[in-house]
Order: sequence, then C-alpha cells, then structure tokens
Amino acid sequence: MHIVILLAEIIVLFALVMLHVAYATYFERKIIGHMQVRLGPMRVGWHGLLQPIADGIKSFFKEDIIPSGADRPTFVAAPIICLVAMLTSLAVLPFAKGWVLADINIGLLFIFAMSSLASYGVVLAGWASNSKFSFLGGLRSMAQVISYEIAMGLSLVGVMLLSGSLNLSRIVEAQGNSILGMYLLPQCLGFFVFFISMLAETNRVPFDLPEAETELVSGYCTEYSGMRYAIFFMAEYIGMMVMASIGTICFLGGWNGPFAVPFFPPLWFILKIYLFLFLFIWIRATLPRYRYDQLMDLGWKLLIPLALGNLVLTACLKAILG
Amino acid sequence: MQIQYKPKRTWLATIFQVEILQGMALTLRRLFSKPITRQYPEEKPRIKTGFRGQHALVRDPQTDLTKFVGCMRCAMVCPSRCIRIRSHKAKEPGSPRLIDDYRIDALRCVYCGYCEEVCPVNAIVLTEVFEYAAYDRQSIFFNMEQLLTNWDRFAAQMDQPVADYVNPFWRPRGLAEHTLPVGKRIPVTPEWSGEQQVVGRLWRQHQTGQADKGEIDV
Repeated sequence: MHIVILLAEIIVLFALVMLHVAYATYFERKIIGHMQVRLGPMRVGWHGLLQPIADGIKSFFKEDIIPSGADRPTFVAAPIICLVAMLTSLAVLPFAKGWVLADINIGLLFIFAMSSLASYGVVLAGWASNSKFSFLGGLRSMAQVISYEIAMGLSLVGVMLLSGSLNLSRIVEAQGNSILGMYLLPQCLGFFVFFISMLAETNRVPFDLPEAETELVSGYCTEYSGMRYAIFFMAEYIGMMVMASIGTICFLGGWNGPFAVPFFPPLWFILKIYLFLFLFIWIRATLPRYRYDQLMDLGWKLLIPLALGNLVLTACLKAILG
Repeated sequence: MQIQYKPKRTWLATIFQVEILQGMALTLRRLFSKPITRQYPEEKPRIKTGFRGQHALVRDPQTDLTKFVGCMRCAMVCPSRCIRIRSHKAKEPGSPRLIDDYRIDALRCVYCGYCEEVCPVNAIVLTEVFEYAAYDRQSIFFNMEQLLTNWDRFAAQMDQPVADYVNPFWRPRGLAEHTLPVGKRIPVTPEWSGEQQVVGRLWRQHQTGQADKGEIDV
C-alpha cells in the first residue's frame, strides 16, 4: 500500500514538474520578448498560452535523426542520462513541511551528485555526435563543470556548518521563519558564489558556453532533433528548477514565509523558485556570454578563493559565537 | 583629436558590478514598456506616400486600355531588366505602335521605381498594394492583363476618385518644370518636389519640428 501511494506521489510530482517545464519556456519567451520590446508568443491560444503544448506536440512528431557516424548507444543514452539525473534530484526536494518524496539525510550531497551526473549527459552527447560543434560543446561543458562544482560545493559548506545538517528539511527548519533567520544575510558571500556557479551549472547565460549558439550552432545538442532535443531542454529547465530550489532552501528559508498559507503550504517555496527563475531569465535577457578564459578565471581565481574565505570565516565565527 | 575614454572603474564599482546592475535595470525598465510589435494580419501597417508595391499599368479611362506608348524607356532604365515588351507597327505610315505584350517579372524587380519615374505618359505605377504573395511563380510573372487587373484592384480600394490619383514618383524630383515631358508636369505634394523635399535626417528633423509645433502627433 505504501508503495502505491509513493508511486501516485511520484506520478503527480512528475506531471506537475513537466507542466512547470512546459510553462517555464513560455514564461521565458514572454519575459525576454517584453524585455526586448517585443510581444513573445501570441498566436496559439490567448496570448500564446497554448504555445508550449504546440511545441511539445511538434517535437513528438518531428523526425528523429541519428547521424550515421554517431556512436549510437551513447547518442541515445545521453539525453536520457541528463533527464533522469535531473528528475532524480527532484525526489529529495522538500516543497513544504513533510512534502518530500525521500527525506534522506544526505540530501544536499545527493543533489550535487545528480547535477554532476547530468553534465555527463552533456559531455557524452558532445562525444557521441561525431560533430565538431558538439564535441567542442562537450569539452566546454566538462571544463565548466570542473571549475564550478568546487566553488558551488564550498559555497554551500557554510550553510552546512550553520545548520549542522545535510538534510534539506532540517536546513530549512534551522533557518526559522523570520527574515533574519535566512542564511542570505550571514552567508551573503556564499550566496554570491552559489548564485554565479548556479548559472554556470545550469548552462545558462552568461555561462552558456556548451551550447553557445553564436559560435557552436547549438553546442552539444547540434546533432539532436525531435524528442531527444526536447529532452535536453526539459533537463535544462528541470535543472534550473532544482538549482533554484537549492538556493531557496539553503539561503531563502525554503517554505517559510511571512505568514502560513492554510491549504497550500508550498506556496512560498514556489514563489521563491519563480523569483529565481525570473532572475535567470532577466540575466539571460541582459548579459552577453563570458569568454571561455574569462569563465575559467572567474571560477578558479575568484569564486573558489571567495568560497574558501567564506568557509573559514563562517567556521571561525561559529566557533567563537556558538 | 581628443579621445574620451570611459572613466576607470573604482574598486567599489568592481565589487558590486555596477555596470551589470545598470544593464539589468535597463532591461527591467524595458519589460514594462509598450512593445512595438504589430500583430500583422489584424493590424495593417500605415502606408506612407511614396510606397513602392505591386506593379500595375494604369487603365486609361478613354480607351479602357493602357496608356503605354511603346517608347521602351522603362525597359531600358530597369536595373534588374525585369520588363519585357513586345510591340509592332502596322505597315502604313503614321499608324500607331501596337503593344503585343508587356511583362514584368516581379520576382526580379528591385522596386527602385525608375520605370514609373521615366515613363513620359505615367503608364506604369508601383501601387501601394503589398500583399500579393502567391504559391506559384506564374501569378507573380505579371503580363499585361494581370497588370491591368492589378490597377483595377488598386483603384477599387482607393478612397479618392481614380482620376485624381497621382503617384509622387510620376514627377521626377529635382528637375525644372520645363525640362519635363508634358505628361509629367503634374502637381505633387510640395515635400516631394524640388526644394521642399526632405529625406533621411532632414525628414526626421522636419517631423520633430512639426511635432513641436503640434501639427503632427508622432
């Protein structure tokens, strides 16, 4: 019986997340459109509201092309690795008190593992496509992951130190429900480092080097078409959502808000996630892409020392005050 | 020559990435500005004077045929050579030139308007019609009947009497009155002829000047 309930929960979560992904694309296109003084999608449905559904149907019926020189099994597996890794990390996210599929004690670590695994999908896609553009995209993704995973991990160690736990629900509870309880203020350095490496981790502008469409056509997914291409995009948007959730949980106090919402406890959590997503899109509409060496510079010479300094500072303060 | 560089960033500006924040503020302001998109099939663009669209041969109200006289100037002046004319003359002396066919390959046309400028009898015109896309090439290779029908269609949607229609290109700009053929000595709006003609930067100044006076709402 327990398994049936769990399965039902998984299906509901999956469906909701897929719906979210579909409308996140709409959200993004609309916001970027208006920021560029355009309208964005307007044709399908009222103000283009059915556009994501039309896109989904279209990508289902598109021809699925596998290049003849491609490494077939890897080529097929790469998008699935991306999507599965991203979907798996959804399981440990606490959407509200007790609203979590797997309340495991190594939640934060698990999410790190899964998001690094997702970049394997990107690297493999670049490798398997037998195309120069894809290959360069894969290489860049690999270099990017190496330089940003460390900074990201270190930036969250401060949060771990303060809350004394890796369990995501307990991190939220440790912050309490006041503004001052949020780790945003005591960990502002950590948040800065986390935010930048979050952009790099999800391959978003200004760090979208793996799929830099102006230089590499579409980077790692150049050779993909139809549903497989759509899967990469789903993975990217779920990745954005997961990273936004981590930011919300670790720095913005998770599901806690100014007042409790009676029937829908995850409301604050979802609002905060959408705040992050808006930031992602806003940055995409504003900034140009970083150059490859600038990105390495930023990662190794700025973010890692900053994160280490933050870590030492937090540890000292905690030892003295606590 | 003095080169004005941007002032060097202070360390505070570097730490807080002021330039990025300025950019973000700009995009945020644009988010709330009115989009300039025109929802095309519902909302048509406003056609201004001097628009060069679909080709047409003006139907002469007296003869119900074209005004074309067979001087071949349009075919000569056409830079993309998209005008093909076939005409003949009867053997008896003094008989008029008869036109067999007049074809315009609209796919090759560059819409420069030279043909209507050079025509001594104002027979050819680039109308203000711009929606004539077709699924086959044959309906965009205009022959004489099609060109006359184009004119009829354009005349039908005109809001003034057909006789009063004057295309500004029919009067070449910057030429004295006496140098023009008789057919081209027609009155056009003053800003299209001679001294008052304003284009480009001057046109914009002209517009804003009028807007300041409150005559035109931009």
